[in-house]
Parts: sequence; structure tokens; C-alpha cells
Amino acid sequence: MRNKITLFTFMIAILQFMNVQAQERVISGTVTTADQGMPLPGVNVIIEGTRTGTVTDFDGNYSINAEAGDVLSFSSMGYQTVKRTVGAEDEINVAMEADLQALDEVVVTSFGIERETKALGYAVQELSSEDIVQSNQQNVVSALQGQAAGVQITNAGGAPGQSSRIIIRGINSLDPNADNQPLFVIDGVPVDNSTTESAGTPRGLSNRAADLNPNDIESLNVLKGAAATALYGVRAANGAVIITTKKGKSGAMRINLNSSVGFEEINRYPDVQEVYGQGFSGEYEADSFWPNWGPSMEEINQIDPDVRFYDIWRDAFRTGVQFDNTLSISGGGENATFYGSLGNLDHKGIMPFSDWGRTSAKLSGEVKMSDKFRFSGNINYTISGGNRVPHDRFMERMMYWAPNHDVTDYINPDGTMKTYGNTNPLYDARFSTFEDEVNRTIGSLNFVYSPVEWLDVNYIIGTDYYSDSRTEITPGPLGIAGEIPLSSTGFITETRITSRDINSNLFLTFNNTWSEKISTTLRVGNDIFERDYERIDATGENFVIPRFYDLSYTSQISNSQHKRKKRLVGLYGDLLVDYDDMLFLNITARNDWTSTLPIGNNSFFYPSVNLSYVFTENIEVPDFLSFGKLRASWAEVGKDTDPYQIGQTYTSPSVYPLNGQVGFTRFSRFGDPELKPERTTSIEFGTDLRFLENRLGLDFTWYKSNSKDQIIPVPVSEAAGFSTFVTNAGEIENKGVEFVLRGSPIMTEDFSWEVSFNASYNKNKVVNIREGIDEIVVGSQFGYAGSTVTMKLIEGEAYGNIFGSSYARYGADPNSIFLNEDLPIIIGANGFPVRNGSQLVLGNTTPKWFGGLRNEFNYKGFDLSFLVDFRTGLEQYSQYDNFMAAFGIAEYTLARNDTRVFEGVLEDGSPNAQAVWLGQGVGPDGRDYGAGFYRNTYRTVSENFVHDASFIKLRNISLGYNFQSNILEALPFESARISVAANNIILYTPWDGFDPESFSAGAGGNAVGFTGLGYPGVQSYFVTLNLSL
Amino acid sequence: MKFLIKPQNYLLITLMVLVVSCDDYLDINEDPNNPTEAPIAGLMANSTYETAQNTFRMGDISTNYVQHLASPNPASSSDIMDRVNYSGTWSSMYNVMTDLSDMIAQAEVIGANHYQGAGQILMALNLGMTVDAWGNVPYSEALDFQTITPAYDDAEVLYGEIINLLNQGVSNLSQETDVPIGADDFIYNGDVDKWIKFGNMLQARYLNHLSETAAYDPAAVLAALEDGFESNDDDAQVIYFEESFNPWAEVAIDNAGLLLGGWISEQFIEAMDGTTYGVVDPRLPLLVSATEDGEYIGVENGAGRGDAPAEGARSTLETGDFYSSETSPILIATYFEQKFIEAEAAFEIDRERSYEAYLEGIRAHMRKVGVSSAEIEEYINHPSVSVGADNLTIADIFEEKWKAMFLHPEAWVDARRFDYQYEDFTLPQNVNPELQGEFIRRLAYPDSEISRNGRNVPDVTLTDPIFWDE
Repeated sequence: MRNKITLFTFMIAILQFMNVQAQERVISGTVTTADQGMPLPGVNVIIEGTRTGTVTDFDGNYSINAEAGDVLSFSSMGYQTVKRTVGAEDEINVAMEADLQALDEVVVTSFGIERETKALGYAVQELSSEDIVQSNQQNVVSALQGQAAGVQITNAGGAPGQSSRIIIRGINSLDPNADNQPLFVIDGVPVDNSTTESAGTPRGLSNRAADLNPNDIESLNVLKGAAATALYGVRAANGAVIITTKKGKSGAMRINLNSSVGFEEINRYPDVQEVYGQGFSGEYEADSFWPNWGPSMEEINQIDPDVRFYDIWRDAFRTGVQFDNTLSISGGGENATFYGSLGNLDHKGIMPFSDWGRTSAKLSGEVKMSDKFRFSGNINYTISGGNRVPHDRFMERMMYWAPNHDVTDYINPDGTMKTYGNTNPLYDARFSTFEDEVNRTIGSLNFVYSPVEWLDVNYIIGTDYYSDSRTEITPGPLGIAGEIPLSSTGFITETRITSRDINSNLFLTFNNTWSEKISTTLRVGNDIFERDYERIDATGENFVIPRFYDLSYTSQISNSQHKRKKRLVGLYGDLLVDYDDMLFLNITARNDWTSTLPIGNNSFFYPSVNLSYVFTENIEVPDFLSFGKLRASWAEVGKDTDPYQIGQTYTSPSVYPLNGQVGFTRFSRFGDPELKPERTTSIEFGTDLRFLENRLGLDFTWYKSNSKDQIIPVPVSEAAGFSTFVTNAGEIENKGVEFVLRGSPIMTEDFSWEVSFNASYNKNKVVNIREGIDEIVVGSQFGYAGSTVTMKLIEGEAYGNIFGSSYARYGADPNSIFLNEDLPIIIGANGFPVRNGSQLVLGNTTPKWFGGLRNEFNYKGFDLSFLVDFRTGLEQYSQYDNFMAAFGIAEYTLARNDTRVFEGVLEDGSPNAQAVWLGQGVGPDGRDYGAGFYRNTYRTVSENFVHDASFIKLRNISLGYNFQSNILEALPFESARISVAANNIILYTPWDGFDPESFSAGAGGNAVGFTGLGYPGVQSYFVTLNLSL
Repeated sequence: MKFLIKPQNYLLITLMVLVVSCDDYLDINEDPNNPTEAPIAGLMANSTYETAQNTFRMGDISTNYVQHLASPNPASSSDIMDRVNYSGTWSSMYNVMTDLSDMIAQAEVIGANHYQGAGQILMALNLGMTVDAWGNVPYSEALDFQTITPAYDDAEVLYGEIINLLNQGVSNLSQETDVPIGADDFIYNGDVDKWIKFGNMLQARYLNHLSETAAYDPAAVLAALEDGFESNDDDAQVIYFEESFNPWAEVAIDNAGLLLGGWISEQFIEAMDGTTYGVVDPRLPLLVSATEDGEYIGVENGAGRGDAPAEGARSTLETGDFYSSETSPILIATYFEQKFIEAEAAFEIDRERSYEAYLEGIRAHMRKVGVSSAEIEEYINHPSVSVGADNLTIADIFEEKWKAMFLHPEAWVDARRFDYQYEDFTLPQNVNPELQGEFIRRLAYPDSEISRNGRNVPDVTLTDPIFWDE
């Protein structure tokens, strides 16, 4: 409540400024748009042949000292320049025609600076508010999927609020835990987009950008490559996502309501067998641990006719539902504008008891105090969180659950678990809760002071503060005889995280027009960043009173505390030279000082230069080419590391104190005392071509970036004395191309069709690894009986290779690290394929190509759009498949009673002819096959579980209707729109299993090639209503 | 317009001030979470606690191999001697050795030679457990971060190092010290005399492991245990805590809560209930639970519990018993173990001494777990136990030792040295076919080593013996 009062007071304060009067000038006037007569702010008004000029204010007003005979030049990006000669009049009003050739040509770059696209020597890609809202994604990162070239988005899974990962132009850092994600900047202030996963079993937590209400976004720009982000320094080494939120506009107050309801279900299931029931070795037991190694249902029903085979994989899930409502009010007067919004999202996921919600309030305003001074403020308050079901454990328990028992019948009347023996996944999901609540405030103040025409002083100060409070409970026994509890003791863990970012950014902009053809903009500034982070965990075990979950009533308590502080100071300069609107040169330089590297190694300087040449302004080109530009850039960026990485330390394990003693152990991480900053050098060439009066556009980019002296916590042999060694360990190279093809094949008054296609190819290579380190483990995932797979980096090889066990191959090169699948499999003397335990490359998890195709059709009030996205050329390890083989769930285990001659050769190269039985126990040939082929052989070979994970998805299809003016006249609304949409309804993939996009690690890590037992992907359907007053 | 000082100069001055004050502003990288030095008592507390934990961990891995315990589920990986990834245990072994290496080094600097000696003994023990499980392992290039991919040392050479460490340890403990060990020592509470005996006992243990090699010197074993334990009071053990229960008790508590585990092997029950040896062992009720019908019934390894319900129909670990109560000790090295070592070492030298040690081993273990003296004597006097010195076989010693070393990792060392030749001892059901009909002889190197130190990891199979097991 108090927050609401504060917001209200702030709003009143802004309104107070609305009546401040403008000062007198000799020549004054208003600049408006020619088509609608709307006031046009920010128009440059210059007396030709002089350096005197001014800019129109928010209402399009200007005033300037000028003599009769002077020629006033009115220019603004996106509009055709107008020239007027001063006569006797005191007032010159101008209506400016839109320059169709360049309508979309302004983008927001670093520090909220707007620049003409044609002036940029690097690629950027902008998404509009509609692009984002129409994707129906609650997470702004997911909304980017398939919409921007070179930007790879991976949804960690279908859990409500679950994180989504964004990678621009490939992995830049070899660090297995490095955040390779770009910097997120909202209205000029960098904000936190980290993902803090749960400490134990994965629960699908949120990336912090999920706290942002996508409805509040006006536009979103993706800055790719070091040249685009050089001004942001170390924090934007992986690119930047620049978000501009909606602002109020002068004029009548507008009220907008956006309401949507969505339903979702699992979009794809693995193929499972439905023949064999509970038991082992073909023997039925109603309380066996083994869910599917029993006899066929036919045989089971001869023993007990009442036993059924349930479709547990469908029974266990529900239809997810989400409601999303945003109400916004905006408006303003002559000198002040405001925008306020309230949003609420409530999402219940397909996995029972999983939910997530977000309530956000935003208020922003801008006040023009005088011609020389204006300031704007922005405050965003969000409460988000939900119950995070342990999806990994849920799915693991699904694996163990025998389909002969109804999985949804999970609870006894006394509240204990109903089960034949194994833990019921639904009971666990319901009672082993993990609730998080994030309270987050993002606020900024922006001051602009223009003492003289050629100088602007900008100061932006912003804060991003959040508390993340998490409570995890696993109940102990309820004290009822015969119960099977989830844990014999139960525990509660209370986690409190607070994080505060402060960003201060002061910059001065000097504009100068040297001659008619040459003008320059010089910007110098200082940037200070501080992050203060603290986390406290308290765990209590053994509840004294069943079902009373409070730390105070547990008998064993342990605590831990973690503090982190980081500071960064940067100085930068940025010079833009514009020659005749045709050649643009941009040079930047920045020096950073960081607190996280050793003093002496903690200062680093890096420059960048980029050039843009609009050749259509210069040379004769055929008529069909309406615009053409070439661009080139070179940049270097430094990168630091996390706090407290250096040297050796000790820690006290959580079991202490014991008997009053506090034990110590050497901390498992050691940081190189000589640690240096990482350096990324990148070059980029590109072209932007428009044909047939902009009906067709092609944007092509080639880039190459090399990151040297990578700071990597190398996982090392635990025998070495540490398990992690933080050092400058290597160099990685990314090379790639990006295409964007846009077209408007049909444009008539009633009907239009617009299409946009983007595709990206990225190839990376580990150029070198520090001497003494042969390979770097990025991550690994469990597989049964030696089928664990590892993602490792090896010099000269690509990022993302998955290593694991395979079938032995006849004639394989013993020195090759790659599995040659074309060679025949070696069959052992026992008639079964021979397992090769040495670790070979079985696939690569980085897509070679990915991209998207978006089509939009408009017919009168109707619009239809769809977005198809794809990725190809990658493999993933399916932990699901490994478990489903081990437990006889996979459809292919129907072959369990077959007798087979395995295709392959014996050790001596002669063809195998031995027939063997695949089942368990004594086969028809009288031989004892023990646990059978699938458990003895199949599940132990990683090769069986690494599959092609390419896909083509109909990411989104949406049909909308905008009520036409004849209907609106009868309604109290300015505009009204209704739309229906569906996400992920078509998925084409060679992958067998749940949606291959899901992975268990969450957005924070880089080990994405493992599915884990991740939260299954979903398809969803939405109905959205948008009303404006 | 004319500036007194050009704006660029203002800027320069500002920048210079900023840069100068920068160093202080940025000097905040000292870790507030973890200290750079650890008190030696803190290292001692953790090393003694973790050594007990490691004894549990290694016992937990091997107890199904020696068929003390069996899984209630058929074909469970530990029962059927599958290739299991024990990265966690490997990490625990090296963590404690790393801490011991720091403790020994710190003790040397501050002249705390008792800490140094105790550290050397614990180092020898943890290294011994590691070698006995995996064979060749990193040591000479390990622990103090010489390289990130430490080479694997020959297991036989490491045995020499174990004996060295034990000798140095005993020698350091025998001197005066300015820094006495205190309550931070969870094993002996600072009793240096017992530490010395412990060092000698371990020397006997590791020398005796060589029984199948040409280097075996039973006289040296007997010489070492001259200065070893003198009674059960000398046992090296950690009594567990109200704040942290004995890990076997945790298994028993979980099992009582139907998170099944700690089920007793049929092999062990039959060895104790008279089926195998014709004599009922009074220890059985003190070690494991009876069924609801008051019987002792085990589970066949690898076969699972069959149609038995989850509780009440089979014997399991339970709280209240000697090994599995909340504050039960974890036995690290004991007087009764030493007596069985003596019996084995003296077997070919002095049969009478061997026989007496064999009987005293049984008695000492029975006293340890709380058997009454009348029951002890009744058992001892049974003809299948009191076979007489002349009829004593090495199998008698191994079989009685196997019972006494319940849940202890030494039981697996013995089983391998004895080639699993216990009476009626058979391969588990559903045995891992990779073993080709043999018993498991070692653990597979952990996945973490294969991925992080793969080039140094020896290429071995589960049936390749450790050097002392040829």
C-alpha cells in the first residue's frame, strides 16, 4: 500500500510541472508531421551556413535568433529536410513529410543514444512492441526467439517462469559457468538478468529479466558484436539488449487494457511401450521396485485380472492456464508526460502444483524544466515468484513409477502417501515445496542539461535492487503407522538473497558542424558500477511437530552466509564523424578498472572503430536499388571476472559446529594470482541493401571474434588439491554469417503481406588452451553404468563436443577422438556388442544454423502472422532415453523377448553369426542372460542416447482483428483488438522424446547439450483482448 | 565565449582525481566469506571426522560386495558389482588428504609435531583406503597443486609411502610438543599414546595386506603390532554426535521410513544363525533386526526381496543396534582387527600364538558389541570355533574376521586376498556380465577423473587385481 502512495505522490509531482512557460524568441514556430499534424519534437533547426541552431521541444516548438534572409533548415531523421527563408514574419510553422526511404531508420544504441541506422558500422536488429507482445511470451528473452539474426534463444523448459537463455553470435567464453548472455539495459540503466538455480535438484527458476512486463516495452534492440557494445565496456562483452520502455505522449490521456488468457499442454511425448508391466526378469510383483521389466499385461492379467496399464505419462500432467492483464495510463501536457502501468500474470504449469506469477507496477515521467534542462524518472516495482516443482526429480520418479498403478491416486485420507512402494511423483510435487518471492525495484533518474547549443550533459543514475526469498520444505514423517514419508527427517531451508546494483553514468556530448558536409559528435563520459550481493541460507532438519514447518522447531540447524561485492569504474570517449550523410566514421575508446582482478592487472584499455558508407548517396546505381550501404568495424573488449576468485582459502563445512568444534577444509577453488583480463577482438563486415523502393531488403553480416586469455574456472583432478583452477586458460574463435531478408510482396490499401527471414551460421573453435591443461570440462550428465557424458573443450576442436562411451568399432583409428559410426560394431564372444569405455566425441551441441521466418498478412482490420523458427546441425544427450532404456519404458524395449544376431564383426573381423536372446534370466536357448541386453549392454553405451536435436517449430501463429472505425463509433473505445494465437503447435524433429529444446541446467550455465530430466516443453493457446480509451 | 580554463582541462583534472582514488575504491577483493588461513585445530577436527566418514563411505561401497548387506531390489548395481561412478567418494578421499597435507605443513612450521604425526598417520590411512579401492592413484604430484593433471603412482610404491608416513608419524608423536592436541581430535581427544599405538597397528594392517605377494614379511607384521593396541580401549573410532548422526543410523532411519536400504545379506545371516557353520552366533541380535516373527532372514544379493513386503519380513540395520544407532561409533581401526591380523601373520610362524590371537579376536569383537561373557565363552567353546591350534586353518581366521569386520572396508580387502573363498559364498544373482563370472577386484576410476585427468587414468577392468591381490 505504501508503495502505491509513493507512486501517486510522484505522479502528482510530475503533473505540477506541466504549466511552466517557454521563453520568448525572435523567430518561433511549431514543426508538425505533414500527414497527421502531430507535433514533432527533436527536429534540428539550423541557420544554413552557420553553426547556429536549435532543436524543437516535445510539442514541436522552437525559437531561434535569426535575421531576415537567413535560410532555416529543418531536419529530422525519418523526414525529408525542409528549407525556409526568413521573411518579415515572427512565426514559421513547418509540416514535415515522412521520408519513406528511411522510415525505420532510427535505432537506440548504447546509453540510449538514438542513431540513424545508416550511420552505424555494425549490425543491430530492432523489435517493436508488437513483435514482442504478439509472441505471447511472458519472458522478454523468449519473445526474441527466431526474430533476430545471430541471436539464439533456448527455453530451459515449460515450467511457469522458467528461465530462457540468450546467446548472441555463439559462446564467447570457455568458462563452463560463465554468463555468456548479453547485458540487459533498460532505459539506459543496466539490469541484472542472472539465473540463480536451486541448490539441490533442478526446479526451473527464472532469469531475472522475467521480472519485466513485456507489455511495458516500446522497443528492443539487440547490439551484436564488440563494436556495437564497446561503450558499455566489460559488462557487454557478450552483446547487449537495449530495452526502451513506453513513455507518455503529450495530448489526451490514454488508457490501455491488455488481457489475455492462455492454455497449454505438453507438445510432444516420447514413445513408450505399453505391453510389459511391473516386475523383474519377466516375473510379476505388485510391489516391485522395477516398473516395466515384468511380464506382458496378458500374463499379468492371468495372475490378477484387475491390474490395468495406465498411461501415466499423460495422466500425471494437467492443462496449464495463464492469465495476463496489463492496464496502462499515459498522457501529458506541454512540459511533462507520464506513463503508468499495472500488470499481473498468473500462470499454472502443466506439472501439477507448479505455478508462477508476476505483479508489476511502473511509472515513468519526463519533465522539461526549461529549454536547457529536462529530467525524467522511471520506477518499476515487481513481485514475482511461485512454487517451483522439482521437475527433474518428478520425472525421475515418473520413470520409477509402475504404470500398473494409478499415479494420480497419490494420497491417503490421513495425508500420507498412497503407494505400492516407490515414491509417488505427484505426492512429492505437492508436499516438497519450493516457493520463491522476488521483490524488485528498478529505478532511474536521467538529467539532461544543455547549457549551450553544442553541448549536452547527461547524467543517468539507476538502481536495480531485489530481494529473493526462497523457502524449501520437504516434510518428514507425519507420525502415522505404516506411512512412507518423503524423508525420514524432513527439512526446511530458508534462503534470503539481496542484490543491489548501482549504476552511475555521466557523459558530455559535443556537437559541431564544421561545414555543410562535415559534422562531428564527441562524447566523453564516466561510468561507475557497484553490485552488492548477499545470500544467507539456514537449514533445519528433523521437524519436532509434523506439518509445522518452521526453523525454530527443528532439531538440527545449519547456516551459511555468502557476501559479494564488485565495483567497476570506466572512462570512455566516442567520436562520430559524418561526411555528407554518406560516410560515417565512429571511433570509441574505453578504459575500465575492476575490483575483481589483482591490482596492477585490473586496468584495461580497449578501442573500437567502425565505418559506414552509404554508396547510393555517392555513386550512380540502377533504379531498382533504392538504398545501399557497406559497413565495417573492428573492436576490442576486455572482460573481468567474479569477485574473490584469486588465491587459496579455507571454509567450514556446514556440518559444524560438532561438540563445540568448528572444522575447516581447504576451499575447492584456487585462483591464479596473476589473473589478467580477457580480451575479445572482433571484426565485422556487412551490407544493407534495399530494392524496389524498400519493398525488398537484404542485410548481410560476416563476423569473426577471438577471445583471448579467457578466465576459466578449469575443473581439475580433485587429486590435484583443488577441484577448480581459475586461470587465463585459452582462446576461442567464433566466425559466422547472418542474413536478414525482408520483403513486402503485396502492399495495397486493403491487403498487405510482409515477410522477414533471418538465418545465422556460427562456427567456433577452441584456438588454444593454456599449457598444462589438455582439456576443459564444461559439464557432464549422469548416465547409467558408465554412460555418463561429458562436454569437453579440446584445442583445435569446436565448442560443445559431447564425449561418452560407444560401441567398439572394427578398424577404428586408435588416435582419433571421434567416433566413426560407419565402421562395423565389434561383437564379443558372448554375442553382444562390445562396449568401448574410452571417451569419444559422439556429437556437438552447438547448432550450425538457426533462424526464423516471420510472415504477416493484413486485410482490412484482420491480421495474421506466424513465426517459424529452426535450428539444425546439433546433437544432444537424452537422459530421458537413458532412463527409459534402463527401466524398460522406451518403445524399442518391446524387443526384449526377441532373439537377434547383432550386426557386426568379431574381434578377428569375421561376421557375427551368434544368435542371442535380449531378455532377462534364462532364455529359450537355456542360457542365463542375467539382467538382459537393455540393462547389461544398451544402457551402458552413451552413443545410444546422443541424438540429432534439430527442429523446425511453428513458434507462434496469431490471428487478430482490429475493430474498424464504424464499429468503434458505437463503442466507448479509441481502439479495440481481439486476437487468438497458438505457440509451438507444430514441431518437426528427428528427436524421440519430449521437446528437444528443454534442458535441465537452466539459463545460467553453458552445458546446454544435456536434456536432463527437464521440464517438458509445451504448446499453448491464447486469446487476447486489447482495448484503448 | 572564452573559458578561463578550457573544458577539456576540467575534464582532465576530474579524470586524474578519479584515477588516483580508484585504487582505494577498487581494493575490495578480499574474500569476506572464506579466510585465507585455517586454525590447525579446525583442520584436525575436520580430518578426524572426515576419516571416519571415509571409512563409512568405503564400507558403504564394498559391503554388498562382501555380502554383509544386500539390496532389497533385484539387480541393484552395488549388489551385482556393476561399474558405478564413485566420483563423490574419490573427491572425499582427496579432500581429506589435501587438508592433511596442509595440516602437516602448518604443524611443521609452528612446531606442532603431535599434529604433524597424527596428520601423517591419517594420511597413511586415507591413502591406504584409496589405493586398496582403486590401485594406482595420484599422490606424488597430488595434493599441493603441482599440476592440474597429477600422474598416477604405482600402488606398490604408494604402499612404501604409507609405511614411511606411519613411521614418521609415530616418531613425531613420540617427541615433546608445544602445541598439544585437544578436543579437536574426535578420535582420541588428544591422547598421544593411543595415537602411537594406532600408527603401529596400521603398519601391521598394511604390511599384512601384502600376504599374497613375494614381499610379505609376517615377522615384520608381528613386530609392528608389538607396539599396537592393547585392548578395546585403544580402538581408533569416532563416536557420532547429536548434531550429526552416525551414517549407518541414517540408513536405518531411512529404512524405517521405508526409504529402503541397509538390508542384510542372506550370506551374513546364514553365517551367523548356524546354517553355514553349525553354530549360532550371539552377536546377530546385536547387529541387525529380527523380523516381525522374531526370525533373522536375509536377502540374496542381486535377487532382491522377492515377494517380501517392504518392512517386517527381513533383517535390516536398525537404530539401537551396535553399528547403527544415532551416536554409534564408526570403527576405524580396532584391537579385534589387530588380533585377526596377528592370527594371520603368526599362522606359519607360531601356530599356538595364531590360534590364541584368533580366539581373542572373536572375544574382543564380542565384548565390543556387547555380548555377555557367558555367551562369549559358550560360543568360543563350540567345537566349530575351538578347533584347537593344530586344526586351525587360514579359512577359519578369514571367516571369523569377515564376521567381525561387519560393514568395514577392510572386509573387502580380506575378501579379495582370500579370493572370496568363504564357505558357501557365491556370485550374486544377475551378476554384471563384464566380470565374466568372477568377483569384483577393484573400483572403476571415477567419471570425474576420466573427464578431468583422462590421459593419466590407467586402463583397467573391474577384475584386474590390486598389486597385493595377484
